[in-house]
Amino acid sequence: MNAVLLNGLVALPAGFALLAALVSRRERAAVGVAVVGALATFAWSVWLVLRLGSAGGALGDPDRSVDVVWLEALDLHWRLGLDGISGALVLMSTLVFAAALFSLLRHGPDDAEGGPRRTGSLAVLLLVIEAGVLGSFLALDMVLFFVFFEVALIPMWFVISTWGDAHDAAARRRAATRFLVFTVTGSALMLVGFLLVRAEAGTFDIARVAASYTPSGPTALAASLLVALGLAVKTPLWPLHIWLPDAHSKAPTVGSVVLAAVLLKLGTYGFVRFWMPVTSPDWLLVPVVAALAVVGIVYGALACLAQADLKRLIAYSSVGHMGFVVLGAATFTLGGVQAAVFASVAHGLITGLLFFLAGAIKDRYGTTDLAELRLLYGKVPRMGGLFAFAAMASLGLPGLAGFWGEMLAIRAAVSPAAGLSETTYRWLAFIAALGVILASAYFLAVMRSMLQGPAVEATPSVDHVDVGAALPTDRVAAVRLGDRRPDVDAGEWVTWGPLAVLTVALGVAPGLLLTPVADAARAFLGGLG
Amino acid sequence: MTGIVQDIDWLLIGPPLALAITAVVVLLADAFAGPPRSRAQALVPAALTLTGVGVSAVLGALAMGGYRDEGTRSTFCVTGALEGPAPCSIAVDQLTLVFWAIVLLGVAVVALLETADVAEGRTPQGEWNFLLLATATGAMTIAASRDLVTLLVALEVVSLPAFAMVGLRRGDRRASEASVKFFLVSVVSTAVMLMGISLVYGATGSVFLEQIDMAISAGADVRSVAVTGALLTVVGLCFKVAAVPFHMWVPDTYVGAPIAVAAYLSVVSKAAGFVGLVLVLAYALPELSTAWSPVVGVMAALTMTVGNVLALWQQHAVRLLAWSSVAQAGYMLVPFGAVAGASREDMATVLSRSAGYLAVYAVVNLGAFAVAAVVGTRFPRQRLVDYRGLVREEPLAGWALAFALVALAGLPPGVIGLLAKVLVFSSAAGPATWLAVVMAVNVAIGLVYYARWLMELLRPAEVAGASVYDVPNGVGMAIGITFTAGVVFSFLPGLLLDPVLLGVGR
Repeated sequence: MNAVLLNGLVALPAGFALLAALVSRRERAAVGVAVVGALATFAWSVWLVLRLGSAGGALGDPDRSVDVVWLEALDLHWRLGLDGISGALVLMSTLVFAAALFSLLRHGPDDAEGGPRRTGSLAVLLLVIEAGVLGSFLALDMVLFFVFFEVALIPMWFVISTWGDAHDAAARRRAATRFLVFTVTGSALMLVGFLLVRAEAGTFDIARVAASYTPSGPTALAASLLVALGLAVKTPLWPLHIWLPDAHSKAPTVGSVVLAAVLLKLGTYGFVRFWMPVTSPDWLLVPVVAALAVVGIVYGALACLAQADLKRLIAYSSVGHMGFVVLGAATFTLGGVQAAVFASVAHGLITGLLFFLAGAIKDRYGTTDLAELRLLYGKVPRMGGLFAFAAMASLGLPGLAGFWGEMLAIRAAVSPAAGLSETTYRWLAFIAALGVILASAYFLAVMRSMLQGPAVEATPSVDHVDVGAALPTDRVAAVRLGDRRPDVDAGEWVTWGPLAVLTVALGVAPGLLLTPVADAARAFLGGLG
Repeated sequence: MTGIVQDIDWLLIGPPLALAITAVVVLLADAFAGPPRSRAQALVPAALTLTGVGVSAVLGALAMGGYRDEGTRSTFCVTGALEGPAPCSIAVDQLTLVFWAIVLLGVAVVALLETADVAEGRTPQGEWNFLLLATATGAMTIAASRDLVTLLVALEVVSLPAFAMVGLRRGDRRASEASVKFFLVSVVSTAVMLMGISLVYGATGSVFLEQIDMAISAGADVRSVAVTGALLTVVGLCFKVAAVPFHMWVPDTYVGAPIAVAAYLSVVSKAAGFVGLVLVLAYALPELSTAWSPVVGVMAALTMTVGNVLALWQQHAVRLLAWSSVAQAGYMLVPFGAVAGASREDMATVLSRSAGYLAVYAVVNLGAFAVAAVVGTRFPRQRLVDYRGLVREEPLAGWALAFALVALAGLPPGVIGLLAKVLVFSSAAGPATWLAVVMAVNVAIGLVYYARWLMELLRPAEVAGASVYDVPNGVGMAIGITFTAGVVFSFLPGLLLDPVLLGVGR
């Protein structure tokens, strides 16, 4: 039964993708099928997590995992399983995908080539990505993780290069190709690392590796380094983040949402699930990774201060948030793992919401240029309020989800695992805390200029502008004070509501997530402090 | 009866023999029938070729039944050997069977592809199919050869008809030029290889792979001569597999030759050179692996890097496939670079991964060439932009090519291509991690040009519905076979890879 549930979670989006592809010539029907698929997947994931969450036993136990020989000659197994760590990310992902596909019902992004919109094909690709992502979260075999990791790549590349920023074809393609090349290089190196682990530990089964493998020696170090390198590209960790701002800002709204909220989590999840077990805290590699994470936090915040484009700003803020996640993992403590998973989930919810809002602003005003966006409080008050809420959550306001991940990561860094230099980590914690302050600075600056902004001269109001009509290309048009656009509509409330509600819920009751993650981390990684 | 009358195991030489006999039948039938009077008659040689391939495959399957009990079956043995087991010239083991399967698949697909040229009428079908069967006979024989002379002769049987195939199209000056270039390079490589073989013979006193191995294990006193000979032999074979720096003939020859011949060169001819490498290095010279493995490893790194980097700038589809096939040869050579000082069992395991990669490459690369043959019927210039909108205009061919490209790049949904990459990575990770890292970077470079082509396929055509293809039935079949095989193997990779890896690797 559990096997069916686990396989089903991968098969369901894949099956619906196939179904939607069959009707993709009729666009509405295809999107409809895809939305049904995404909702079914979400429901399925809730069922799966509740069922496996209540059952006892370790991650790799036969009654709560799937283990089928896939390629005997290479000892590859089709191993799927779920615990509190992956469960949290699975739920977040299925929710975000459901929201992203639901938003396509309203209207999809234009085909940047100027051809038909082909929203149906976009929905199909998103479902394929979802299948790959869920497979990665469930995979307990290192090579299977790699395979699923790669599944999402080609579809995502299409999403960026076909439906991305319509104004600049060359930049869009460059962003897409850069995303592809960086990720593939990273994942290929990660694969080499996995194969080295296999040579050392004798199995691809990560549950067994975590239980019985004690990494030591140069080969184990090389393996850990390669795995970290591959995941650092995906996460991304400074200085391997350079593919991210372009990819996130040139992608269509749903693409940015999925990229930021879900695809980055493959990297952070990989750090917890596949890097920590093959790494010894005694190595210098670990503090180096932590230090790079902290550099990323500060760098992300400083880069945000310099951004003139809303989508690029949100993209850079992700670099900072991912820094907290990796810092948490690199402390090798229970609190650190909790912080990493919590921050991942929170970032998925909050940044997903932010990108949705940025997309909605772009739909209404035709731009995400911060110099042109002013006084949104006055023009679209509810949307402005929601943006302020998401920005507050993102900068780590206590009481909202963004706070706990960052706070726990810093706390974990103050007292890292035995074997890690406490002085170094205290300094890192201190600098990371500075990063939090800088993050507040840039989000507050954006809120001030974009939501409030200096008064511009009033012009007669234009009510009820049809969203589908030609968007203003005249730069002045967008900044006129009375230039009202439709505020948040019902469809958008349905899409964004769950993300916002969960942001509050996790902020108020972090134990909902922290307790199962702690149980899972203890069971999976064993002797964590 | 000592050494004068031999018992010949006809079942073992049956598969190559079946092709050779079919070749003669095709030639005679063509000579007596005269020039074809109808299109149906022009297809007769291709039909005969496919029949021959079928018979050969059946005989191969029967031979396979035999090997199960005995492991290896040999024939043409020297009787009355003074010590040790009698050395044999022909032997069939799992490796041979795997290569036979690859060759037969390749020949069948190539014969189907050539039917696209029937309408044009510039290639004499009878002669062409005769040449194809003749070179295929050589490719079958090389996989079964167990002495250096048989190996060399078989390799020449692969090459000589291939020169003619490249240049057979009437009134095509580029094809003639390609043929001459190919010929010159090949002759030089044969000369170098002969030199190497004579040195190995001089150092060990035998041409039989088994005896060479024994002589070197026993401590041949002229080890440096044997090493030199080994390296020269490897050089000769590397011309065939088109490893850098012996790859210069590839792009011009592929582009000048008819597409079916380019497909043949990129799969069957490459496989022949490749099996030659396995035989010489792993069967005859495993003791010298510390000498040849690093050399081949560096060569593998260079081959994939040069192939991938130069493919980046290509706008011509076949030239791009040519450079990509150079790069793929580099991946295939990676396991050879990771067996320095390995035990015999380990070496067999590792090299079986090369064979696995080759098998996967054969299936997907033939698929790519098959679709190129279709597009070539309308756009002989084969620019990448000519492929724009193929998925919409001709869905079967379009998706088949898209699948072949992602599989060559090693990404899902071409899972089989991805697993092939995993195979090669797994052989190098550990013994030659640097090579695995070089390969990881190369996989990313390769992706750029495959993705570029893929993009063209999926973009809407400039004028929708303008490019309606008249897919020749034979080519359609070839596409169908390779596409279906690729998809099936992607879901059940064990079907293809388990027999290869477990069988050859033991």
